[in-house]
Order: sequence, then C-alpha cells, then structure tokens
Amino acid sequence: MAKQQSSETYNFPLKSQPAPQARGIFSLSMATRFDAQTCVLLIVSVITAYLVLPPLYSVLQTSLFTTKLTGELDEFTFRYYQELFRELQVLGPFLNTVYFSIGSALFATIIGAVVAWIVTRTDTPLRGLGYFTAFASFGTPFILYTIGWLLLLGKAGPVNYWLRTFLNQSEPVLNVYSLWGMVLIESFLWSPFVFLMIAASFRSMDPSLEEASAACGARLWQTLQRVSLRLMLPAFFSVVLLIFIRSFESFEIPALVGLPGDIRVLTTSIYLDSQRMPPTYGRAGAFSVLLMLVVAGALYLYFHVTREGERFHTVTGKGYRPTLIQLGSWRYVTAALLLVYSFVLLVLPFLIVLWASLLPFYMQPSFEAFSLFTLKNFVTAIHFPKITDSIKNSVLLGLGSASVVMLLTTFASWILVRTKLRGRWLLDLLTTLPLLFPGIVMGLAIMRFYLIVPIPIYGTLWILLVAFITRYIPYGIRYTHAGLLQLHRELEEAAYTSGASWSNAMRRVTLPLLTPSFLGGWVFVFLLSAKELSMSILLVSPQTPVVSVAIFELWENGQVGELAAFGVIWTLILVSVAIIYYLIARRYGVQQH
Amino acid sequence: MTTFRRGAFTRCGCLLLAATLGVALLTRLSRGATVEDVALMKSAERQKILVEGAKKEGKVSFYTGLIVDQVVRPLKEGFEKEYPFLQVDFFRGNSENIARRVLAEYQAKRYDVDVVSGSAATSMVQRAGFMQRFYSPHLAEYPAELKDSKGFWGSTNVYFMTLGYNTRNVKANELPKSYEDLLNPRWKGQMMWSTSRGSGAPQFIGNILLTMGQEAGKAYLQKLKGQNIAKSTASARQILDLVIAGEYPLAVQIFNHHAYISKAAGAPVEWQPLEPVTATINTIGLAKNSPRPHAAMLFLDFVLSKKGQKIVQTSNYLPSHPEIPALQADLKPGGGRFKKVNYINPDVLYDQGNEWVDYFQSQFLK
Repeated sequence: MAKQQSSETYNFPLKSQPAPQARGIFSLSMATRFDAQTCVLLIVSVITAYLVLPPLYSVLQTSLFTTKLTGELDEFTFRYYQELFRELQVLGPFLNTVYFSIGSALFATIIGAVVAWIVTRTDTPLRGLGYFTAFASFGTPFILYTIGWLLLLGKAGPVNYWLRTFLNQSEPVLNVYSLWGMVLIESFLWSPFVFLMIAASFRSMDPSLEEASAACGARLWQTLQRVSLRLMLPAFFSVVLLIFIRSFESFEIPALVGLPGDIRVLTTSIYLDSQRMPPTYGRAGAFSVLLMLVVAGALYLYFHVTREGERFHTVTGKGYRPTLIQLGSWRYVTAALLLVYSFVLLVLPFLIVLWASLLPFYMQPSFEAFSLFTLKNFVTAIHFPKITDSIKNSVLLGLGSASVVMLLTTFASWILVRTKLRGRWLLDLLTTLPLLFPGIVMGLAIMRFYLIVPIPIYGTLWILLVAFITRYIPYGIRYTHAGLLQLHRELEEAAYTSGASWSNAMRRVTLPLLTPSFLGGWVFVFLLSAKELSMSILLVSPQTPVVSVAIFELWENGQVGELAAFGVIWTLILVSVAIIYYLIARRYGVQQH
Repeated sequence: MTTFRRGAFTRCGCLLLAATLGVALLTRLSRGATVEDVALMKSAERQKILVEGAKKEGKVSFYTGLIVDQVVRPLKEGFEKEYPFLQVDFFRGNSENIARRVLAEYQAKRYDVDVVSGSAATSMVQRAGFMQRFYSPHLAEYPAELKDSKGFWGSTNVYFMTLGYNTRNVKANELPKSYEDLLNPRWKGQMMWSTSRGSGAPQFIGNILLTMGQEAGKAYLQKLKGQNIAKSTASARQILDLVIAGEYPLAVQIFNHHAYISKAAGAPVEWQPLEPVTATINTIGLAKNSPRPHAAMLFLDFVLSKKGQKIVQTSNYLPSHPEIPALQADLKPGGGRFKKVNYINPDVLYDQGNEWVDYFQSQFLK
C-alpha cells in the first residue's frame, strides 16, 4: 500500500506540466529528449516502412488485379473479394476456421501460461526443463513434427493401439483427422511461443502487489486471478492475437490433419486455388487484406485498453525481483505437470524423429523394428551437399534477423509506450502487418522489389535477411511492447533527473530491465527464422543454401529417414546455440541488476 | 556473374547492378549470332561452332526441379568431364517456383538462366513467351509423346503413377487390378490420394477423362466418389509413407519407383499398375534470352544423348530415352509389369489441368 502511495505522489508532477520553478532544468533535458525521440521515431518509421510497405503494396495489388501469363498485372478487378465473400457465406468452413483458431489460441495459451507460471513463479523442482523444452521443440522440422503426431495419434499409431487394447475395442478409438486433432497439434506447435512470452512477463512481475493481495487475505488463486493475470493483460492479448491470426490464416495443419477427415477451413480452397495454372494469389491476397482490417480493429482496441499504461506497470523504482511462491507439497504436482509437458512436447516428437532416423523406412514402434536399426541415414545426412554451408547460413541468418528485429522493435515499442505522439498506433499496425502477408506473396514481392531497385542483394544472403527481418517484426513488437508496458516510467525519469542523456537512460536503464522480454523474443525469432521455408525457397541461390530448404529437398527426395537424421542433427545444433546464448545472456542480465 | 555475386555480397554499391546490365548488354551485342540462330543451327559444323562459342561463355545456368543430390550432381559431373572448360550452375526448386523465378527475372530484364527443366516449368515459362525452340540431333531418337511437336522441349526422364499398397493389409487375391476394382466396397474409406495437380487426384481424373472419354469417364468418377477416398495435401511420397505405416491400406496415384525404393529397404509395400498408367514427363528446354546459348545447347545435347541418359539411369531415375531401360527394368512400360501408358503432355496438363482441379474440388471435396 505504501508503495502505491509513493508512486502516485511521485508520478503526479510528471503527468502534468512541470512546475514553473523547475522549468529551467527540465526544458533542457526535455529538449534533448525530444530530439532523441524524434530521431528514433524517424529512423524506426523509415526502416519499418521501407521493409513493410513494398510487400504491403504487392499484397494489395495481388488482390485487386488479374495477372498475365508473364506475371505482369492485367486488369483491375474485385473478383477475388467477391469470391471470398461467397466463400464466407458458406457456414461450414467459416465456423471450422473460427473454432480452430479460437480453440488453438486458447488451448496453447493455457498450456503455455500454466507452464510459464510454474517455471518462473514457483519453487517447483526441475524448472529449467521449461526453457529447454521450448527451445528444443522449435528445432524439429515442421513437416516431420506434424507427420510425427499423425503417426502417433493415427489409426495405426501406438496411442490408438493401446487404447484399443485397454478398452477392448476393435475399431480405432481416436480419430486424429478431426477438428480436435487440428487444435491439439496447432496448440502444441504454439505453446512454446506462449511460454517464452508469458514467462518473460511473469519474471517482471511486481511481488509487492501480490504480497498486498495476500496480506488482505486473498488465497493464491484469488491473487492470481485478480492481480497477477490482470497485470499481464498485454502479454495475454499479444499471444492470443498472434496465435488466433496465425491459425486463422494457416493452411498446413488444417490441410494435413483436417482434409483427410473432410474438415474444410477457409484457407483450404485458397490453397487448392494455387494448384491452378497460371497460379494466382488473388484470393489469398484478398483474404489477407480482409484479415488486416480485422487486425487493425483489434489493435485499435488493444491500444485503447493499454493507453492507461500505468495500470500494467509492475517494474518500478522499488525492488522488483519477484519472489518465488512456496508451493509446499504441491510442488510435486507442478513438477509432474512440467514433466508431462516436456514429455508431450519434446520427448515424444523427438523420439519419433529419432526413431525414424534410425530406420530404413518408417514403421510403427515394435520389437521387429529394433532389428532394422541403422546409422546409414546419419551418414547420408552428413554427406548431404553443402550441409555445412547451409548450417552456417541458417545460423548467421538467425543471429542477424533476431538481433535486428529485437533492436528495431524495442525502439518501436518505446515510441508506442513512452511517447504521446498522435497516430502512433499506426506504427503498431505497420509492424504487425507482415504477420498477415501470405508467405509466398511476400517472397515474390521481395524478389521483384530487389530485381527492380538498384540494390544488388538478389541472390545473396542479404535478401534473405531482409525478408526474415520483415517477416518477424510482428513477433518482436509483441514481445517488447508487452515487456515495456510493465516498466514504470519513473525509472527512466529518475535517470533523466540524474542528468542521464536519452541514449544513456536507454542503454543503462530501459534495455537492461527489458532483458527478459528481449531475450525471449530474440530466441523465438532465432528459432523461427531457422524454420522459414515459403520465402526462402524462392529467394535462395545455389551459393546461399539454407537448412530449411535443404530439409524440404530431403523431404521431396522422399527419404524420411535421411530427413529425420538431418532433423536430429539440426535440433541439437539449434538447442545448443539457444542454450549457450541464453546462459550467457542471463548471466549478463543478472549482473546488470 | 559468379564474381559479381561474390562482390555484391561483401560490397554494397548501387552501381553494380547497372554495371552488370551494361556488361550483359555489351556481350549480347558483341556476340554476332542470336540465341535463336544458335538454338536452331543444323549445319555440319554445329558441334565445332558450339564448342568454340561455349569456350567464351564458360558456364551454363540450369534451373531444375530434379533432385540435386540424386541426379543433378551426377549430370553436372558427367557434363563437366566432357567439356572441362564449362561449369554448370544450378538452382533447384519445384516447377512453380522455377517458373516464378524465371518470370520475375525476365520481367526485371535480368537474363541469367540458360536451361529450364521441370514437369510443368517449361510449359509455364513458354506460355509467357520466354522459351526458345531448339534443335538437337538426339531428339530424333525419341518417340513423339516424349518431345514437343513445336520444338520447345525434350524430356530427361519419366514418372509412372500407380497404386501403392501395404502388403500386410492387402491380400494378393483382393488386390485391385483395374480401375473398376477400385469401386469394390472393400476399399470404401480405405484409400488415400494427394490433392496435388501434377501427381495426385486431379491428374488421376485427367487420365480417366482422357482415356475413357468425358461421358464414360465422369460416370466412373461419380462411382469412385462414393468410395470416400481420403484427401491430403501431402505429396505422393508422404502418402506412401502413411501407407507403409499402416494408416491406409491403399494409396492411389503414387510414383512406382518410390514404392520400389522402400520395398528394397524392406518396407511392407508394393506397387500395382492400373492400365493405362498415368505418366508424367520431366521436360527440358532453352530460355529465350539465354546469355550463354552455345554452352546451353551443348548441355541440352548431353542430357538428351544416350550418355546423359545413362547417367539418369544409374541415378536410379527412369530415363526417357527409349533405348535406355531403367535399372529396375519393370518400372518402365515393357519391363514386364505394364504396357499401356498415357503420357500426359505438359501442354495438355497446362490447358486442361484447371478443369480437372475444378472437377476434383466440386465433386470430391465435401
């Protein structure tokens, strides 16, 4: 209680005009800060606009023009929008899409948030497992991951086999080719993202607010519900929004899991459309434009909710390191939950991949299979042409795009949260838009752009870096925005009154305090960029091989075993990079405080 | 060009692109013969002129859908051994991506590609007007269905689409041997196929409509619709893997050599032709503004020659050349397991494929 009072009295003069007698000192620092603000705003806006506007223009064009055989624009048309609205009127696919997206967003958020809470806020043993699982589960190649789950939960898979024996049924008990199958697999795919984001937010939680709640007699659950979770609204909004959108527009899981069971979503017909010749992306473009409008609305609302930023401040001038909640004997239950999570998300998929990598062809787990074990796939994978170049390029691209994205979005978030510039929510929109561009349209847009403008990066690694940065800005902005909302302005103000320049305050106060979100986002972008395929496949050149494309080629090669072996190697590399980085960064971050 | 790219990687100057365009333009002007002249040359001196010209060109840029590890690299090595002064640079992608890349580059007037190859890529690029007719003495050795009547493409290798089945779930006596057999109630809900245009349900539909005729074909397809074949956007290869794992007993429209490779590794899988078997052709041709036409023609000659086709054979692909059998001979027609084949011409696939896709979407999707 005492803390709240102090922060109010402290805040008051800062919110209103500075007192007249203080003007002399303040005007100077305000002026330098204003310059820095404008500079940052200008630089960030220009870079973001440069990255985002060309693909945006291309998406709009794609949705409004038919194309000639040569790929040139032909006639202006509203046809794609009309087709889309006709599609939306058919209730089945539309409802399926809504169920699928809401289901995945909620389920992934619940899993990720519970695990994040256990890992960051309680004294549960084995907490490190949470991070390890999150990192490692990203390493598994996407196709392999999905197929792995299908094989595991499929008609002939072990889960159905056990259930059948246990329940004494002759028919398969579970049908994975269904809506719940889609939701389950999509949620598993996204829960590490939720975990990293929510964990960062939990780590910056203000214990005094929770202690106050406990002192007033609230139980643990009541405190969570009324204090902790409400303070984390920005983080929760971010994850739900991102997963909802990504699920809404994704076609991989709905197609691979839903289609065999005749579950159609809105993207199914868009995907099947791309089978036509010459391929047109008009409807995909129209779909993403429509989504942009929806997202613009959501962001506008979010912006208004979080405008009163003070409500979410948890990191203030007072000691903020959250204390761990003593769970008593309950900590064994939470440890068990953590183990289940790691088993389902990490061990199981990894085991399937490892299993497949040791066999000459895929077969369901059985004793017979053990006799066929071979290391041949690993030998082939290691000798895959340019494998070292691919790994080097992918790691370089991951490091580059993660660093640039996080730096850029940290400054963008700072403008969004700290300044009162009008229309700054447009910057938020701009940084979120790349999320909505269909990968292939964006890849084409970037390819065309750099074929035309005289910046010679076509055919080099740079064009991939530009593409990746653009693609992952939306994730970075959500991490840093939610993180920055938690930091109280008073910390920066304290730096300014002590005579620090803007860059000094940024470097020595804001950035170190933002470390959890920054690192979470960094690792996420790094791991995500290592998987990017839809743009890479268009933009790579023979001189710049990357791993995701190599994996795709192995997949097209049709050698599941070799692909799995490559997947095992790649997972190990990714996890080691992520962990080394995390350990170094955490040590560094801790020293800063 | 290679040096330019490396340079661009380290330096970052805006003038470089303009410079390359200028150099490209100059080389085009200084070279007397046009791409068309070189491509259609039939003189007795042809080989000599090609070699002379190619020595100045130094390399070939090859955009291909073929798998690098399995067949592109052996072809590159074989060719470079034959012509040590030439180097093959390749870009690998599926047909759509190759076409997108060529079209985007041509729109930006960046002419880098010499030879284009893929199952549908040459047709797509040709429709845009960016392919060049060519003559190669070896084309005469190929049957009419394996080369373009207008002279835009030849063929490197062929694929045959058959049934694939799990030998543990399908008994020998119940195995479907004809298209009619697929209508057996035994297979209701037991089959899977891919939605892919080039190697899945639309192609199967096309084969039926082309060989049975529109009326009989559609009558058959209506009955097949009642069999509830599971659809997947997975590739034919992935679907075969699901069959091997026991998820579905039967896969419709898979590559027979995939089943053969898995079977050789010990998997419980076998392929079964339904005649006429759908065949896909992997095509190869010359880009319209090929910057190195002499070298490109030498490469085309090499791939189409018996020597090149032998390399395709030893890479375990199915060579197009009628005199070069497959390593596992029965994978090709006349090898003992099937005779009647419907080679789907890429131009027919291009022109009628949309109808097949539409038919599939309207009839087979719920």
